[in-house]
Amino acid sequence: MKKHNDVTSLARDSRFERLSLEDQFSDPRNAVMVGRTGGTGMRRRLDPARPGSPDRARSLMHGIFTGEIQALEGAGRTCFDFEVGTGDDEVPFELKLDMARQCWDEARHCEISVKLGEWMGTEIGEFAETTVLFEAACNPDPVLRLTGVNRALEGLAIDVFNTMREFGAETGDPLLHFCEDWMLADEVTHVKMGSDWLRRLTEKDPERRSRALEFQRVVDKLFSGAGFRGEEEDSTIRLARRFRELAGFSTDEIDEISELSRQSRDEARARIAQRALTEAS
Amino acid sequence: MAKVIVTPETYNLVFFDSGRIAELVGEAADKAGFAADAEIRVEVDERVPLGRTKTVSLDPISIWVEGGAFEDAKRPRQLSDQSVQDVAGRLLFRAHDRLGGGFADAPDDDGLTLPQQVAWDAYAVGRAERAGLPASRSRRLYHFRNRHGFNDVADAAFDRLWNGVDLTWADIEAACQETAAAKEAASA
Amino acid sequence: MADAKKPRAAFAPWDRRELPGSFTVEETAKRVGHYKWVEMRLFEALGGWVPTVPELDVKMRLGTHTYHHAWHADLWNKRLPELREMNPERLTAPANDHIVEFFEAMTEPEAPEQTIEKLVGVYRVLIPAKIAAYTYHLNNTSTITDAPTIRSIKFILHDEYEDWTNGEMLLQSLIETDDEIERAAAQQIRLEKILLKAGGIVGPGSLGGESQASAETVGAPA
Repeated sequence: MKKHNDVTSLARDSRFERLSLEDQFSDPRNAVMVGRTGGTGMRRRLDPARPGSPDRARSLMHGIFTGEIQALEGAGRTCFDFEVGTGDDEVPFELKLDMARQCWDEARHCEISVKLGEWMGTEIGEFAETTVLFEAACNPDPVLRLTGVNRALEGLAIDVFNTMREFGAETGDPLLHFCEDWMLADEVTHVKMGSDWLRRLTEKDPERRSRALEFQRVVDKLFSGAGFRGEEEDSTIRLARRFRELAGFSTDEIDEISELSRQSRDEARARIAQRALTEAS
Repeated sequence: MAKVIVTPETYNLVFFDSGRIAELVGEAADKAGFAADAEIRVEVDERVPLGRTKTVSLDPISIWVEGGAFEDAKRPRQLSDQSVQDVAGRLLFRAHDRLGGGFADAPDDDGLTLPQQVAWDAYAVGRAERAGLPASRSRRLYHFRNRHGFNDVADAAFDRLWNGVDLTWADIEAACQETAAAKEAASA
Repeated sequence: MADAKKPRAAFAPWDRRELPGSFTVEETAKRVGHYKWVEMRLFEALGGWVPTVPELDVKMRLGTHTYHHAWHADLWNKRLPELREMNPERLTAPANDHIVEFFEAMTEPEAPEQTIEKLVGVYRVLIPAKIAAYTYHLNNTSTITDAPTIRSIKFILHDEYEDWTNGEMLLQSLIETDDEIERAAAQQIRLEKILLKAGGIVGPGSLGGESQASAETVGAPA
């Protein structure tokens, strides 16, 4: 088995259909959505009062499910891709153990997501799968990979699970609330793990630390998906400040993610408006 | 088969085929009980990838959908036969109800509460499924529980509606009142 | 109640544990180092395979089993300093070159169509061999002096039996044709032959016999 594979290696059964970022961004209907959604082209907050909210929750839950599969795959590859050692392309034994533990957690999250999907009336593979999460897990530098996955991606998971947990509470769905609460506990642990390893592995290498944090910013911005996740009233996924603090994020770091989300939203708005203008002319 | 007129005839933003839509909606209309000489109009707003739908007129039967409602959730911008028949079945069974006597007291679609809408949908989609149209019982049950409560009373009401035959608006209202009372009792 | 002052035997009549065992401290440390090496290579392989397997149930099971074997590696890593090996990395080593060859062959299948080969290597060859070696160790070490190793082996064997059953059931559900039976058998034969050359997961002596470093029971009264 070769070390360091890429997103094309992800094996799926025939139910799954992959959607590239290019396909998402090149959809000409995005421009039409601009006027309807305050200029972002993105969908609004997951509000139980809206008629379509159960279907949106189903779709989001399926996105969580495929995200958990990729998180499992990413953690698995981190167990395999790096040898134990002190070099830049090596990792401590204990880090590999943490990643193995994360494999188990993510496998459990997949199982929970499958059951929740059934509960919500969703079939496996009913919605398209995007692979942006696994792409972050392919970085050849273990510190950058861990920062991108455990701080950015798992941080997003905290926000997503908290949003779904609140949706479950608002709609009175006991199973959704219960499961999301449990998964949220695991994600806080994973983020903490990422923060601890970032600190330990870059203790004497500030340059590497700043590269890792920069990579995290890139991933965070990507995951903020044009305002998909943020602190605006209509963000689909709200930044979960309290749980992020539990996971070891400082207030400054959370403020920065919030700001990145605002930037991502503004950029998407400009991009889509520009495209609309081009198409109109 | 009922005569189905689809607008627009051609699409610029999505890969839909109005002939295929007409064929699928025609089949659904037959199964919903419309006569062969009935005229059904379908208007698709291809610009919107969301999934809202509504019946805008009963004479002739006119339904309006956002493009996302007919779209394949796995393949953006592609038509999904299953989605077309799922939506058409639900709307046409409800339209057929309105044309009969039993739903004369029902408010206009815009005047329906969310619990009323999903209760009527459960009755409509249950029949659509028995008629051989694609339908997901578990998805409808989830919608129903979201509006009527995650409890045994709501599940029993859903079963009655899903399996119902020749129900009237009074039956839909009764189901809504029953689940509302159960919710109120639970929160008291 | 009985008289609290009445002397009682230190070992209750039902407690049949004995001092003698087949392994010295050094031999135990060496064996534990081999165990750790095997558990590490196994959890890395399982983790590495996760993305390459299309079957969802297998994918999730591999994720769970990855942790089981990582935990076993951790148990052995913690045991090594207790056996006077202050540099656990020194003894974290394969028993011989054939064991390295075995792991290379076991992890060779990578394509998504090769789930059967992947599972056969782990669940029909390696895990049965691990169970055998652990059971031999459990049954032959000193039940008093080496109690910590015994406790770890018991925890580990619990996982191994469960994982073995899981893996075998997955295999039986995946194998549907004569051709697939032959594929599974061919992979098993190929790997068994390498493992035979290795002498078991910790080399010759994995199950005792003539290669055991100390043929005499250590600690037995003369």
